[in-house]
Amino acid sequence: MGSTTPDPVSLMPLVYDELRRIAAGYMRRERPGQTLQATALVNEAFVRLAAEKRRPFANRTHFVAIAALSMRQILVQRARARRAAKRGGEPKRVTLDDALMLSATPNVDILALDEALTRLATFDPELAHIVELRYFGGLTIEETAEAVGSSPATVKRQWAMARAWLKRAIECRSDDGADAQP
Amino acid sequence: MKRDQWERLKTLFMGALEQSPETRQMWINQHAGGDEMLAREVTALLRAHDTAGRFLETPVTVDPADVAGAEDNAGAVRIGSYEIEYEIGRGGMGIVYCARDLRLGRRVALKALPPVHDSDAGLRERLRREARAAATIAHHAVATVYALEEIDGRLFIASEFVEGHTLRNEIDRGPLDTQRALSIAADIARALCAAHDAGIIHRDLKPENVLITSGSAVKVVDFGIAQVDGINTRLTRPGEAVGTPAYMAPEQLVGGNADERTDIYALGVMLTEMLTGQHPLAAGVRPALSSATGIAWRCMQVDAKERYQSAHEVLEALEAQLRNPQRIDTPAIASSRWWWEFHQAAVSVVYAGMLWPTWIARDVIGGRQGNAVFVAVLAAAIVGVTLRLHLWFTSRFYPAELGWARGRATGWMLASDALFAAALVIAGALVGDARPAVSALEIAVGIAAASAFALIEPATTRAAFRGSDRL
Repeated sequence: MGSTTPDPVSLMPLVYDELRRIAAGYMRRERPGQTLQATALVNEAFVRLAAEKRRPFANRTHFVAIAALSMRQILVQRARARRAAKRGGEPKRVTLDDALMLSATPNVDILALDEALTRLATFDPELAHIVELRYFGGLTIEETAEAVGSSPATVKRQWAMARAWLKRAIECRSDDGADAQP
Repeated sequence: MKRDQWERLKTLFMGALEQSPETRQMWINQHAGGDEMLAREVTALLRAHDTAGRFLETPVTVDPADVAGAEDNAGAVRIGSYEIEYEIGRGGMGIVYCARDLRLGRRVALKALPPVHDSDAGLRERLRREARAAATIAHHAVATVYALEEIDGRLFIASEFVEGHTLRNEIDRGPLDTQRALSIAADIARALCAAHDAGIIHRDLKPENVLITSGSAVKVVDFGIAQVDGINTRLTRPGEAVGTPAYMAPEQLVGGNADERTDIYALGVMLTEMLTGQHPLAAGVRPALSSATGIAWRCMQVDAKERYQSAHEVLEALEAQLRNPQRIDTPAIASSRWWWEFHQAAVSVVYAGMLWPTWIARDVIGGRQGNAVFVAVLAAAIVGVTLRLHLWFTSRFYPAELGWARGRATGWMLASDALFAAALVIAGALVGDARPAVSALEIAVGIAAASAFALIEPATTRAAFRGSDRL
């Protein structure tokens, strides 16, 4: 990558916009309520942006790192809004789509995951980054290794550690929580 | 947790993973170095690991609506019988949502004023006008307006929801193929024909307002600041510029009256952008000479009188260009056009060549008369040669401009030709017997010129531009 790689934060709006655009395209083609893997969205955004004259990012993994971060932010923002809407006691706002979403997706609680991930990043940013790439960006172990510049074996171990810790952190949150506090 | 504690936990966990399930606990106790807390923590983590199943293994799945409408403040919102799905875009004049009309079960684009301006009577009136203006235009290249709704005091325009992307998206990816650029421009011109025929000027044409469907159809949207013919319908104060500066015609920038030609200017800017991938005012944009850029160039004339005068004219030029794509890069000049060009060049040579004999004639005639005759021929020669060479050059390099260039030059050329012929005959007569050869030459060329201008040139012109006076 080298020193010419632009700062990820400055590329966020670009990637964010592209993700939104593609998602909007999906919405027009598919039935409402249909879900898709984030990986598909991220890949399509990559293909589109890579076709542009001046490619703003160094390579695919560099791009996915930014896209994964965008995806995480988007989903967290959305989940917060949804939670706020429900608490706001406006029965109108819960629609059929929302109901379908809750039952149809095997996703973990995004807000709980985000919180745990943020906590993990305070003492092990590398692990948190790997989770972001894998879960929100859809990278495989090998691709993640390439993105972070280490070996697949190392990433595999780190991934196992992060997954175990996050699972505990999310589960303990609902009851005591103190147990998982590092 | 302290950093070193975490590192120890991590090392121990990763080490324990390598062990077989039966020997794990023993291995942990051995390696925890008597730290019971640490050993317990590792054991708990391992249990979490063993029971984690597919936890986080499948990348997150998303509802596209969540991503598309990520900035909405809440989930779906009902407005009357519409259910808002997500925000498509927003600008100073309004917010556009993608919504579902629950009565008819179809998607619509719902446009509303930004909440802060919702009670502004002037803006509400403008939105009403937009709805009426757009509803007047029935054309497949203009998004159809379904309804103007007032729900809970808020005003909405429900219109056809266009599936696709904007022309801006397309331009951002670099120059378009020439044929495609021309065909999109022609579709926009068709939409403009329909709008202008209905007495409506768009006034804010830009790539963001041109949608391209997945089936490649073009839809012009957002007659947001459209103006209906007539004085009373003006909502902007006189002298107030409305529009998007980069696409605004000069007369619009200074707050003057917008008319059909204002939209034609914006179309020219967009055509240039499609062909070059860049805005014509961007530094370093020098479109390659071609008929296609010639059309754009004429649309963008600073003086509205020098542009195409109607959308129908632009459409005709674009369609002619689309029919004859080979003209674009190598203007194939028909032999009749070649003769016309030869004629222009030959006349220029004669004009210049006659200056010398006329100079001699001036000396022979002498006095005021001599000077007057010479000056007349000189003036006629300067104007005639300049215009003819200009036409010759235009024909060679900007064929699309030729019809228009000829229109401008015709009057002046007629005048200079008449003056030239007359001055030569007079000079010949005045010289008379003093220099018979010069006299004869002047009179002969004068008569030849007169007959050439009266007979030959109209013939070559007719042959060259038969059928289409406008190229």
